[in-house]
Amino acid sequence: MTLPSRRAVLAAGLLLTGPAMPARAQVADIGRASAFIQQTGNDLVAAINDTRASVAQRRERVAAVLRKAVDIQGVGRFILGRWWRQASAQEQAEYMRLFEETLIRNLSSRFGEYQGVRFSLGRTQQRTEDDVLVNTLIERANSAPFALDWRVAEVGGQPKIVDVIAEGTSMRLTQRSEYSSVITRNNGQVAALLAAMQQQIQQMAAREAQTPR
Amino acid sequence: MRTLIPALAAVLGLLLAGCATRPPADDPEALAEFRENNDPAEPFNRTMLDVHQAIDRAVLIPVAKAYRTVVPLPVRDGVRNVLGNLRSPVILVNDMLQGESRRAGDTLGRFVINSTLGLGGIFDVAATQFGVRGHTEDFGQTFARWGAGEGPYLFIPIIGPSNPRDLGGSVADIAADPFTWFGQGIAVSVATGTRTGMTVVNTRTGLLEPLDQLERGSLDYYATLRSIYRQRREAEIANRIDRAAGAAASGTGFGAGNDAPR
Repeated sequence: MTLPSRRAVLAAGLLLTGPAMPARAQVADIGRASAFIQQTGNDLVAAINDTRASVAQRRERVAAVLRKAVDIQGVGRFILGRWWRQASAQEQAEYMRLFEETLIRNLSSRFGEYQGVRFSLGRTQQRTEDDVLVNTLIERANSAPFALDWRVAEVGGQPKIVDVIAEGTSMRLTQRSEYSSVITRNNGQVAALLAAMQQQIQQMAAREAQTPR
Repeated sequence: MRTLIPALAAVLGLLLAGCATRPPADDPEALAEFRENNDPAEPFNRTMLDVHQAIDRAVLIPVAKAYRTVVPLPVRDGVRNVLGNLRSPVILVNDMLQGESRRAGDTLGRFVINSTLGLGGIFDVAATQFGVRGHTEDFGQTFARWGAGEGPYLFIPIIGPSNPRDLGGSVADIAADPFTWFGQGIAVSVATGTRTGMTVVNTRTGLLEPLDQLERGSLDYYATLRSIYRQRREAEIANRIDRAAGAAASGTGFGAGNDAPR
C-alpha cells in the first residue's frame, strides 16, 4: 500500500517541479499538494471501507496513513501553543503520544458513520508562499455532502497536512482554544489536559468497539 | 419600559460580577490569549450557556426530535425552503448594502422564481432547476463590512453565541423585514409567531447531530463553541462560506440546516 502511493506522489512531484522549476525546498506546490491529498484521501477511504478487515486492523491502516500524511509534531505543538514550554519534557512526550492517538481514534471511532464514504477533489489554491489549500467534498450515505479543506505545507521536503478546515472553521485553531481553556481553568496544569485527553481517548475507544460489522 | 430598566440593571450587574480576571501584565502570552479570546465576560457567559443547555434539554431538543419524527422529510424540506424564501428580502437588502451586486441579483432572482414556480417558496427550484444556490446575509455581517467591530463575545440563552454587533444586526434584520410591517390583526400575528417558532424548530433540528457531536467530542464545549462561532462569522463576513441556507434564524453563525442532517 505504501509503495504505489509513494511512487504516485513522487511521480507527481517530479513531473510538476522537476524539470521546469528550480528546486526550492520549502515552497509548497499546488499540483503536488493536490496529488498528495488525492493519494492520502484514497488511502484513507480504502482503509475505512475495507469491511473485511477488523476494526483494529482498519485503525492501524488509518494510523499509518495519518502518521505519514499529517505533520503531527508541528500541529501538536501549535495546538498546545504557549503551554508547550511550561510542560515538562515528560509531559511534552506524553502530550504528543496522546495527541496522535486522539487524531487516529477520532476517525476510527466513526468508522460506522463513514462507511461507504467517498470524496472528490475540488479546486486548489495557493494561500501563502508555503501554504496550499486543497478543497475536497466528502459524501456519505444518508447525509448531505460537506466540504473539507486541507491546508498543505512542505515539511522537511515532503507535503504534509497542517490543518483541516470545515465550514470556515480551522481544526487547529479550535482545538488550541479548547486545550488552552482546559489548562487555564485548571490553574495552568498541563497534567489536567493530559488526564482529560486520556479520558476522551477511552470514550472514543468504547465507541469504536461498537462499530457495526 | 418600567420593567425593562430594572431588568437591564440586573443584567449589567451580573455582567460586572461575571467579569473574567485579566492576566497580569508580566505574562504577555496569557494577555495575548485573553485579548484573542475577546471574552471579558466569560464567567457570566458560561453561566448563560448552562441556562441555555437546561432550556435546550427540556424544550428545544425534545421539540426538534419530535418534529423530525412526526413530520416527514419532504415536508420539513418544504418548511425550510419557505422560511429561507421569507428571509430573502432581508438578504437582498444586505447584499445591496454590501455592494454585492452579483449576489443581490442571485437573491432577487431566487425570490422571484421560488415564490412563483416554487409555489410560494416550498420548492427551491432556483437551486435545483436553475443552479442558483442560496446564501445568507444579515445586518451583523453588513455592519462588519462597514467597519464595525464585533465587541466582546456574548452567549445568550436560546440565541446562542453572539456579540453586540451581531445582536444589533438581529434587531436591524427584524426591522428591515417587510413581513414585520405587513398588515395587522390576529391572522398576521399568528403567521408571524408561527414563522418565528418554525425558524427556531427548523434551525435546532438541523443542528441536532452537529451540536451533539461537538459537545461529546470537546473537552471544553464552551471554549469550542466560542472559537467556532467567531471563526465562522469571520468566514461568513468574507463570503467564504457559500453553502449556508437562507433560512438561518439570525446571524447565529451556525449552519441553517442545508448541509446538516434534516
